[in-house]
Amino acid sequence: MNAVRPVIALIDDDAWLVDEYTRTLNKAGYRTVSASNALEGIDLIDTAHPQAIILDIFMPGPNGIVLIHELRSHTDLAQIPIIVATNSASDIDESAMAAYGVLVVLDKTTMKPDDLIVAVRKVLP
Amino acid sequence: MTEGNTQNDQTGGSDVFNVPVIIAAAHELKAPLALIRQLSLSLEQGNVSKKEIERIAEKITLTSERSLRLTTDLTRSARLEDSLFTLEPINPISLCEDVVHELSPMFAARGKAIAVKERRRSLLAVGNHDLLRRILLNFADNALYYSAPEAPVVLSVSRIKNGETIRLSVRDYGPALPMTVWKSFDSSLGKRAQMLHSRPESSGLGMYIASQFAGVMGATLGATRHRDGATFYVDLNASTQLRLL
Repeated sequence: MNAVRPVIALIDDDAWLVDEYTRTLNKAGYRTVSASNALEGIDLIDTAHPQAIILDIFMPGPNGIVLIHELRSHTDLAQIPIIVATNSASDIDESAMAAYGVLVVLDKTTMKPDDLIVAVRKVLP
Repeated sequence: MTEGNTQNDQTGGSDVFNVPVIIAAAHELKAPLALIRQLSLSLEQGNVSKKEIERIAEKITLTSERSLRLTTDLTRSARLEDSLFTLEPINPISLCEDVVHELSPMFAARGKAIAVKERRRSLLAVGNHDLLRRILLNFADNALYYSAPEAPVVLSVSRIKNGETIRLSVRDYGPALPMTVWKSFDSSLGKRAQMLHSRPESSGLGMYIASQFAGVMGATLGATRHRDGATFYVDLNASTQLRLL
């Protein structure tokens, strides 16, 4: 049963927010894996090969943009759709991010739990 | 500066409309407020077990308390010029234990730990109890987000410069800052509120506020980068009281 449920990678340094994302996505039928920084995130994506990534930008160590660049350098990982969820959405040029595989930018300060599900459904093939 | 004196220091404080501080404060309050909102929305949606409700409520309480601490610190730092601060002999170990006691629930809820390094000999430092407590709370709060669960954040007290200075340190174990970011941070430590995107939660404003508090007490702040984390410290004059006994 689990094998057919899409895997979503959550990369965010706020563990409590990740808990909420996990609960919301699990209820909607998705499996989740998570990492708390970009370095762990790259390893996680490399091993779990998720169907989509929900990514924070500002994290300890290298930030989310570094992770996006790293993913683009791997042909097998570059195609994974990315949803950015950040407190600084208003500072981000969404159209510029699209070139890097970021298909949706969610504003953490205004989003609702269901917005996460809508975004995942939108980016999954 | 002598013990038992009060000081009205003109070096501390900030303008009422200090724009960088306002921007930094807005940025830093955004994350906890967004989290509280998400937690609240989860409760609103229902279909949450009783145990989950208790867990979410605790998170809301702890996150609110953390945010309120920041707003109180901001208020205090903006009014430093108008306030009198008593400088007195302080037992730094006892103060560290108070800080650990206050922050333990937040650390435990985040699956992390905080401890005071034991020390046999008593030491006394000269400072303002409340301001020093707030500096340590800022350091420890900052460390919370950059420490690995298996390595507790450690508060320690040491005597340096032939015993004339007491150093209170907060050591965290987590991802190291890139050197370029560290250099920028170290050179501006406490001089301005700056966003430090590799330490996104609290390094900028928290350290700026801490430096304002330190300035009022004649104390200095510093930081050391380690391969596996960082140490933030405050240096204070040692009290002569123990030597006179």
